[in-house]
Amino acid sequence: MNHNPQSSDGKHDDDSALSDFLASLMDYTPTIPDELVEHYLSKSGFQSPDVRLIKLVAVATQKFVAEVASDALMHCKARQAAVVKDKRDKQQKDKRLILTMDDLSKSLREYGVNVKHQEYFADSPSTGIDPASREE
Amino acid sequence: MNNGCLEKRKKEGSKSSKFGSKSDDFAVAIAKVAAAQVCESVGFQGFHLSALETLSDITVRYIFSIGKSANFCANFAGRVEANLFDIIHGLEELGSGLGFAGASDVDRCVVNSGIVRDIIHFVGDADFIPFAYDVPRFPVVKELKEIGSFQEKGEDPPGEHIPSWLPTFPVPETYATRSSVENEMMSVPTGKKTESELASIERKMERSLLNLQLRFAKNGNEDGSLHGVGYSGRAREDFEGNPYLAAPLHSGEKEVEVSPVVFPAKLSNEASLRNPVPGNVIVGNHVSVLETFASAIDALKSGLCDSDNGTKKLLSTQRPTLRFKIGIGKKSFGTEPDFNSQKDDNEKDDKKRRVETIL
Repeated sequence: MNHNPQSSDGKHDDDSALSDFLASLMDYTPTIPDELVEHYLSKSGFQSPDVRLIKLVAVATQKFVAEVASDALMHCKARQAAVVKDKRDKQQKDKRLILTMDDLSKSLREYGVNVKHQEYFADSPSTGIDPASREE
Repeated sequence: MNNGCLEKRKKEGSKSSKFGSKSDDFAVAIAKVAAAQVCESVGFQGFHLSALETLSDITVRYIFSIGKSANFCANFAGRVEANLFDIIHGLEELGSGLGFAGASDVDRCVVNSGIVRDIIHFVGDADFIPFAYDVPRFPVVKELKEIGSFQEKGEDPPGEHIPSWLPTFPVPETYATRSSVENEMMSVPTGKKTESELASIERKMERSLLNLQLRFAKNGNEDGSLHGVGYSGRAREDFEGNPYLAAPLHSGEKEVEVSPVVFPAKLSNEASLRNPVPGNVIVGNHVSVLETFASAIDALKSGLCDSDNGTKKLLSTQRPTLRFKIGIGKKSFGTEPDFNSQKDDNEKDDKKRRVETIL
């Protein structure tokens, strides 16, 4: 009985926080456009007249992509730091941070997404083999 | 079993039909730009194209899976429309792999979810980066142009068995081919014709005349192919490539082009009597052409092998002097222009005049 009013107050606070947040979402324009989110949500069967929910999904997706990208950036910087340790001359050259499949697959693995990029593509099974063995 | 597995693997190896199809190209392109902008805000200065494509694909799949799980939660609760709590459930489901604050609590409230708090923090910290382009609403839904009913259009249905509240039949030009369109026009002449329709009618007539000339050039070398001069025969010939578009055979006619010469003349006479205006032009041509070929027909009847060359010769001598006469039957045209293959301009003028008189 005692904690009931407290919990109800807490709930009220949470409710108000959430409703305030949803209201503030209307002012914030996420990087991912609403039309794109709406297109894929309708494709999945999601139906809602509330625009704030679309914005919430857009913000959540942006957060997810930003997290993945920041993890990939960490991997990229760590790789560059390791290289710089060996050769100080290349420090200026490697300043550019480039998103590669290698870093991306490493960061996505933590989120449960397994992405394997092909090392190379060959024309036939015997490409790259010594000519002597290829003739056989 | 093995082969089935292989095929399935091949299919899965290629782009998933949901997100990789041609119809989705626009949405995928937008997702690529959005993902690139987010990467730039994080600190990247460049990217490999394959990496960006992968990231955009994952972005799209993330949105799709949120929608799917939110829809599932809503349907589970007996609702059609999803609400905030369904979305939070969906987010929790997706974030459960990595974990969020309060995930292990048994009595946690959806409103107080750690996921929502994380999002609130993110919105507070993140820079405001709008999307680079103005995105229109897509996919664009074409407005269905409604065909009015017979009643609405004020037309009478072409048969007693057709009720007037049904939508009208489509315009013949939209589905019929050249000769069958001419049939329609001849049998049911409508009062008003637009400029474009007139032009199309003229073009069709010119084309059919040209076909007729070519056909005679071809048929003159064959025995008994003059049956093709007949009305339906001409229609058939026009669609040599597609037999399904050919006009139906009348009773007594055969597919094979071997027939007595009398039959086409009779048929074309009947046709000329039946059909008014534009069709008459061409029907009249048949009759007059038959007259010119009468000698050739006699030659064909009498001789067989040797007559071929004779007919060829006859044809070669006769072709330049072909004159098509029009104006057989009831219609009154005013003028009866001669169709000489050399005078093309006059032909066009005459046709235009004829068409105007019809109107």
